Amino acid sequence: MYKLLLCGRYLLTRYLAFVCIVSVMLGVATLIVVNSVMSGFSSKLKERLHGLLSDVMVESVSLEGFADPADKMRRIAASPVGHLIEAMSPQIEVFAMMQFRVGYRGELITRPCKLIGLDPDSRAKVGGFAEFLENPRNRQRPSFALSEEAQRRQLLLHPPLPELPGPLDFARPGEPPPPQWDTPIAPPKVARGIIVGHAIATYRDKNAPLGESARDIVLLHPGDDVTITTVGAQRLQPVYDRFAVCDYFKSEMSEYDANYVFVPLDYLQRLRTMEDRVTSIQIRLKDPEQAAAVRDALQRIFPASTYQVHTWQDKQGPLLAAIGIERNLLNIILFMIIVVAGFGILAIFSMIVVEKTRDIGILKSLGATTLGIMSIFVGYGLLLGVVGAALGTVLGLAITDNINEIERFIARSTGQAIFPRDVYYFNMIPTNVQPGNVVLINVGAILTAVIFSVAPALRAATLHPVRALRYE
Amino acid sequence: MLKVQNLHKAYRRHATVVPVLAGVDLEVAAGEFLSIIGASGSGKSTLLHLLGTLDRPDSGSIYLDGQRIDDLPPRQRDRLRNQKFGFIFQFYHLLPELTALENVLTPAMVGYSLCGYWWSRRELRRRAIGLLERVGLGHRLSHRPRELSGGEMQRCAIARALMLQPPLLLADEPTGNLDAHTGGQIIALLRQLNRDAGLTIVMVTHNLDLVAGTDRVVRLVAGRIDSAPVSHRGADHDYAGLHQRQAG
Repeated sequence: MYKLLLCGRYLLTRYLAFVCIVSVMLGVATLIVVNSVMSGFSSKLKERLHGLLSDVMVESVSLEGFADPADKMRRIAASPVGHLIEAMSPQIEVFAMMQFRVGYRGELITRPCKLIGLDPDSRAKVGGFAEFLENPRNRQRPSFALSEEAQRRQLLLHPPLPELPGPLDFARPGEPPPPQWDTPIAPPKVARGIIVGHAIATYRDKNAPLGESARDIVLLHPGDDVTITTVGAQRLQPVYDRFAVCDYFKSEMSEYDANYVFVPLDYLQRLRTMEDRVTSIQIRLKDPEQAAAVRDALQRIFPASTYQVHTWQDKQGPLLAAIGIERNLLNIILFMIIVVAGFGILAIFSMIVVEKTRDIGILKSLGATTLGIMSIFVGYGLLLGVVGAALGTVLGLAITDNINEIERFIARSTGQAIFPRDVYYFNMIPTNVQPGNVVLINVGAILTAVIFSVAPALRAATLHPVRALRYE
Repeated sequence: MLKVQNLHKAYRRHATVVPVLAGVDLEVAAGEFLSIIGASGSGKSTLLHLLGTLDRPDSGSIYLDGQRIDDLPPRQRDRLRNQKFGFIFQFYHLLPELTALENVLTPAMVGYSLCGYWWSRRELRRRAIGLLERVGLGHRLSHRPRELSGGEMQRCAIARALMLQPPLLLADEPTGNLDAHTGGQIIALLRQLNRDAGLTIVMVTHNLDLVAGTDRVVRLVAGRIDSAPVSHRGADHDYAGLHQRQAG
């Protein structure tokens, strides 16, 4: 009983102990905030990556692709894991160069891109495409058709020419003059639609106010021309064509938004002279957790020399692993704060033990055991740890909850952007508080406080009662 | 009640050995109020600490009610200090964070388990308040030691020493830090406790004026009990005689 009473009294009367509490509190709060933000980034990124990629993909090892995708899909559906499959879509992925002019006679921009040829209907069922299209109508039913506005812009860019009445020939003497060329007008040639990544078609306004959502400046409007150059499948010959922008793809993942352009599958097949061939089959599963099992089963059907079967996690493995490693490293580094707090406890407790030497002698003269004296100081450390961890948890959760407001305030106060919104295309700092992590951090902090209080407690407990009583 | 045989104790620091007690033999009867006098550094406090199992002798033995106590394991010695001995110190040694009442309750908190204390808390509190009232501090229950005078602190320390009703009170210069009048009050209180409750008291002091009311006075000289009778004529005279005998 005296241990509890003295722990409580020491806590309330030793203001130095508040330094320990503040250290533990700051350590715990920092760890909770960093973990929540890292976890938020990680889960948001995973969510987006998974949203973009299909659960499983069967890919060709060469750009030439593989023939008869319909047959492949039938084989997949008939395989032992066929019942796990929700939808499939054939696709061509190839590197390409794109060129477009900013404005009517503006600067010519050439840049590399990843050209995806897909069938909009089946790909919409697989997911990771239609939901990221900017035009709401396309989100419902994706298509490469140009909107009326895009068609009008095409007409402005490519005004219709009068149609020649027939083959030109020199007039023979005595023949009547040819008719005037004022009618009829040839129907305009409208280019095929192309969906471009949002970050290709726009750029972020760097002069946006600090902490505010950045504004996008549009370079490519719907209806603008884009020339795509890629390679043929059979022979490495350049093939190219002109397309008209029909929509934007905006996944908020800069890597995708800045590189991907989508064209109709059948047209890309013709352009690349690879009729009835595709480079991959995208598969959506009923249960994404089964991805690894499906991958293994399909890899047994399709030989690895020609086909590679991956899950979405395999494709983004290094990125996901990097996030995990970053988080672990940060945890280790930040846990040092708590260890520093532990050393603070060690120093302050050692001082308190010296200060309380006579009290320790008194307690021993009253019959307190060595273990009893030790438990006063270990209990004191535990109490400091618990109070510090509890306050740190409250502070950490409060900061996490208001992290965007705090970031905006700091950005405004210092004039320095802490969270550049164009890096991740997140307009808000994502957070995800994991209760398990919070508990772990608390346990770690409390354990550290207890461990660092053991040495001073041991010193107090082993003090000779007579020497302690005589201590001046 | 208490018997000491050929007790030796020396303090060592590196190669230097300072002998303090060199064969003390002493017996204290139950209900006796014994004073041990001696000059500063004569080993009075060391003897008291050995009697109270706060320290271990180099050799010799101490018996309490016929049972040897100097060689008991630490846990039993702790228990003994809690149950059988009440300590009073020159500098009161109250715990500054606790109130007078909590200080008096401390031996009970040490001796009882958490549950035991919780179950008996009302009875213990009643007893502690009774003790504080008995020593004249009934109105100072919630006062911290720093809010009490020297005499009040010592009376509080006496109440604490009596909390678990120990049969033996060990007082180390209980009036050493008090003026003559307050010191007299403390001695009178101890005398009263000795008479009324039959409490055995062993008090060490260097002040011969305080020992008049005690049952027996023994003198510690050069680490031994001097068998010569002690006069109550005054400290200066008596110590002069002690020094002459030591020189001889």
